[in-house]
Amino acid sequence: MFDHGQPSYAEVNKDILSTMLETGPKYWMLLGMTMSVAGICFFMPWIYQLFVGVGAAGMNHNAVWGSYLSNFIFWIGLSHSGTLLSAVLHITNSPWRKSIYRSAEAMTLFSLMTAALFVMVHVGRVWFVHWSFPIPNEMGLWPNFRSPLMFDVMAITTYLTASSIFIYMGSVPDFAAVRDASTGLRRRLYTIFSFGWRGTAREWHTLGWAYTFFAVFVIPLAVSVHSIVSWDFALSAVPGFHHTIFAPYFVCGAIYSGTAGIVTVMYCLRKFLGFERYIGQVHLDSLGKLLITLSLIWSYINILELFTTWFGGTSYELEALSFRLTGFYAPLYWEMLIFCAFVPLLMLFKKIRLSWNKMLLISVLINIGMLTERFIIVATSQPRKFLPGAFGFYVPSWIEISISVGSFAIFVTLFLIFIKWVPAISIYEVKETLKPLRRNV
Amino acid sequence: MAILGSFAFEEDFLDAARKLKSSGFDKLSLLSPLPLEEAQELMGLEKSPVRHFSLAGAIFGAIAGFAMAVATSLVFILPTGGRAIITIPPFLIITYEMTILFGVLFTLLGFHFVSGLPAWRDRPYLISAGIDRFVVIVEGAAADQVARAEAIIRDAGADEVRHVEEDQ
Repeated sequence: MFDHGQPSYAEVNKDILSTMLETGPKYWMLLGMTMSVAGICFFMPWIYQLFVGVGAAGMNHNAVWGSYLSNFIFWIGLSHSGTLLSAVLHITNSPWRKSIYRSAEAMTLFSLMTAALFVMVHVGRVWFVHWSFPIPNEMGLWPNFRSPLMFDVMAITTYLTASSIFIYMGSVPDFAAVRDASTGLRRRLYTIFSFGWRGTAREWHTLGWAYTFFAVFVIPLAVSVHSIVSWDFALSAVPGFHHTIFAPYFVCGAIYSGTAGIVTVMYCLRKFLGFERYIGQVHLDSLGKLLITLSLIWSYINILELFTTWFGGTSYELEALSFRLTGFYAPLYWEMLIFCAFVPLLMLFKKIRLSWNKMLLISVLINIGMLTERFIIVATSQPRKFLPGAFGFYVPSWIEISISVGSFAIFVTLFLIFIKWVPAISIYEVKETLKPLRRNV
Repeated sequence: MAILGSFAFEEDFLDAARKLKSSGFDKLSLLSPLPLEEAQELMGLEKSPVRHFSLAGAIFGAIAGFAMAVATSLVFILPTGGRAIITIPPFLIITYEMTILFGVLFTLLGFHFVSGLPAWRDRPYLISAGIDRFVVIVEGAAADQVARAEAIIRDAGADEVRHVEEDQ
């Protein structure tokens, strides 16, 4: 489990807390940079769009959905491996989960927040967004719960709430460790955050039970969230969207991109926070094997989608398929296949699976492929609806491209803030993986 | 008066707790830097009542979710393609999400209720219990029992014993 020898309990506290309590100038520079990029690339174009209207984006009469929604699906997808993987591995009692789950769960939370921002950007008049919640409003409107978009609102708010509680409750004992290691205002804050935790047998017992129940609730929730996101498309009659395979396709894709995201985040934690001792090759190997499995399932579903459309022989479905495979966006389609179906097969070689640099490259390529996948679904389906008279064309405007770039800066900013407020690795769960101290050993 | 005994080894800590229990010291707290199943068993902790909260939350959420979907569709009638106003299949999705939402919220409530947290008042505690020490706390010991409790803790191999006034 540990690449550089087993640390003592005190060393675990010291190693992990030092990343929170000691902050160098490089951190502030990086934080300033990501905040600036987020402001310039995301918020400024958004404010511009709020002034001039959503016409500033490249969407048009034939393509009313564009990159904002493909980004929304991408970020929701990226959120999937954190909490879901953490919950599944908790239930199955997998020890390799313990070093990586906290940051993976944070990834879930921040991806969801970024995804929620895209909904606000997409709807245009963001000040009416509360109309989608079942709360009284000035128009006397109530949400239409027969719409998949309303399913989305309920699913994502539930997922955001559950994920926040899941990560917070898992962090309570570690907040107590931060409290004990700090002074002044920080100590007072963490006394509140930790609820006065002492680590009594009753507290551990209750937390264990509650945490298991959170995990049990979160697993079906995570599956439902991306199924529901897929129904935004699949429950419409648009060729290219209307597939029964979409729910498993989206869920599989979400876990796939999320797992690749975890590899990227783990690389950064090792490299920049010095967690080489806690995040080792056993984690990389396990994540690599999981990625190969997910890649094969994802490829199978893609083949299935092509086959059923071809076998069905419906003219408008064939036209949408032909546009996807040979039309303007065909290079993106083939790029997606290379990055998500073929490149991951390299991980069949253990040598590649155990190399951090190669795994980083593969994980980034997978997520580029997955972002492309979501773009292709949106950009090649709506503009090819039924009759040539309804055919259109969609290309993202510079506003959309800038906002997409800015969303990554928002995600990184949130993560950088997170690592200074919450121990990025669970202190007490790492201790659980250590051999217990025995007097007679 | 509370007596705190700090141990470097898990087995000594559990041994002290067992001996204290068998000597009639029932008001014990066992502090550890990680969850210990043996300590929980020793304290007689089996199935947690948290599970009742989870079940109650899930049932409440299911009923509330379905009722909300029905109520909003009746308050704001929006006929769609000749379909029924109260449409069961899509409302079951809302029911499903609300079941989970309230299941989670009630579990959180259950955690606070059962664990007695938040408890921000000063209670007997050693910072080392959050790092690498296992701490036995004997609470509410009468003056004539203090020496006996301390002797048991020391015999078990404690590396530190402290006396703390409980109202601190």
